[in-house]
Amino acid sequence: MSNRTGFLYDDRYQQHLTGNYHPEMPDRLPAVYKGIQDAGLLEQLTLIKAVPADLKWVETVHDPHYIKRLQKACSSGNNIFDSPDNQMCPATYEIALLAVGGVLEATRLVLEGELDNAFCAVRPPGHHAEVDKAMGFCYFNNVAIAARYIQKQCGIQRVGIVDFDVHHGNGTQHIFERDPTVFYYSIHQHPTFAYPGTGREFEMGKDAGHGYTKNSPMLPGQGDSEYKQILQRDLMPVFADFKPQVILVSSGFDGHIEDNMSDIKLTTEGFTWIIKKIVEMAAEYARGRLISVLEGGYSIKRLPELARNHVEVLLNG
Amino acid sequence: MFVSNSMTRKVLTVEPEADIFTAQELMANHKIRHLPVTEPNGRLIGIVTDRDIRSALPYKFFKQPSVVAEEDSFSKLKIKDIMTRDPITISPAYTIQDALLVIQDARVGALPVVKEDGILTGIISVRDLLRAFINVLGIGEPGTLLCILMEEKVGQLKKIVDAITEENISFGSILVARYWQKDKRAVFPYLLTLNVAHIKEKLKSLGFTLLDPMEWYLDQLPKK
Repeated sequence: MSNRTGFLYDDRYQQHLTGNYHPEMPDRLPAVYKGIQDAGLLEQLTLIKAVPADLKWVETVHDPHYIKRLQKACSSGNNIFDSPDNQMCPATYEIALLAVGGVLEATRLVLEGELDNAFCAVRPPGHHAEVDKAMGFCYFNNVAIAARYIQKQCGIQRVGIVDFDVHHGNGTQHIFERDPTVFYYSIHQHPTFAYPGTGREFEMGKDAGHGYTKNSPMLPGQGDSEYKQILQRDLMPVFADFKPQVILVSSGFDGHIEDNMSDIKLTTEGFTWIIKKIVEMAAEYARGRLISVLEGGYSIKRLPELARNHVEVLLNG
Repeated sequence: MFVSNSMTRKVLTVEPEADIFTAQELMANHKIRHLPVTEPNGRLIGIVTDRDIRSALPYKFFKQPSVVAEEDSFSKLKIKDIMTRDPITISPAYTIQDALLVIQDARVGALPVVKEDGILTGIISVRDLLRAFINVLGIGEPGTLLCILMEEKVGQLKKIVDAITEENISFGSILVARYWQKDKRAVFPYLLTLNVAHIKEKLKSLGFTLLDPMEWYLDQLPKK
């Protein structure tokens, strides 16, 4: 029997413009959509439309002054924010709120039992966004806000986050590093070689949160076989102990061998294996409840097949 | 880049007549391993390390420090009996590079910093140097490391720097190292950006080779 899988897609996410030569470009989302559509999967999915997030949820993670600062930067027509990496346009603030809102809507549907799981094709991405700082193309930390929503709105205690974007999710780690109720696991290219320079093996959380952050840095050139080995060694046992009641996934496809944002050499099949394992863990510990949120992934050529396979696994396990 | 900017200024010291347990306690309480020994006027006359003290005491003191009678006999041992006299020192006007070379050559963990009149003004440890080096590498800030192979001829580095600057990317640092092939150099720019896809393509189109990061080491480049 197949799962009831949601698919968050909204044309408005393309209104966040990043200028010329920027890898985090609007075209990424139509590429994702096309892959799913061409495979005839749309009929099996529940399409979710985005709604703007209520600021009270954004404020569970981000500093209110930061939110205002971003809003002001957008309305005054700035085209970069906090770093030249973060290219923006006047619509960026609204679209970033729409990304959070869409993810929260998908989360609500999963938590209320209307869906088993969901894939959220959002822009801008979120996992580099810190409490009070935009970083690495990210403005609001979509996944972190969803984790807080799950805890506060649905009264669920233990949330597990798996981040397989090729870059370490510094924002998500820092937001939860002192929190033993949210487990953050990330596998990414080694921080000596890749942005943002955090996510070393010895970063394991702080104070009460020590032991609830885990990082697996991968060396340049490593791919499917090393990822399989390391995920089985590092991720499976800690989630077996932690038993997350819901799993959030920061799904970044930039570790693909044809994605020139990294030196990691995962194949399309490698990504399928990864999400399969995460879906299996969700079935075992979280009654299948899993919300996958798009982070990076910049190969317009490979995104269609990566998205198709990802959604196929969510549908069929 | 001067030692005076990176050293510890508030230095804990001991007198030569102090007993070794006083020094041991001072080091333990402040989690330090080196105590300069000074005269009352601040002139440096020696240095004592936690290792000097451990070597002066029998092993059982570390298992049962409360053997009072014996402790008494060892407390007659003075710092001046176990310290290193006239240790290697550096001047606050030395650069960090000087300090790196001196500390590597001297095989010590810290160097007292003294002025020309012999008065102690600070101490610089391997830790302080590491902190300075992390700062120099720029790795406290988010960024991406590239590894570029270039021919050793005039103007190559300029081309690289220009290409990166044109992309509006800031540098965290840039290292240049010798390479295992004759007339080649390896260049390692640490770029304060996530957005490296376009600059990588651009460097390739300019004729540079991007090295596989697994093929090199900072301190020893492999021979082919």
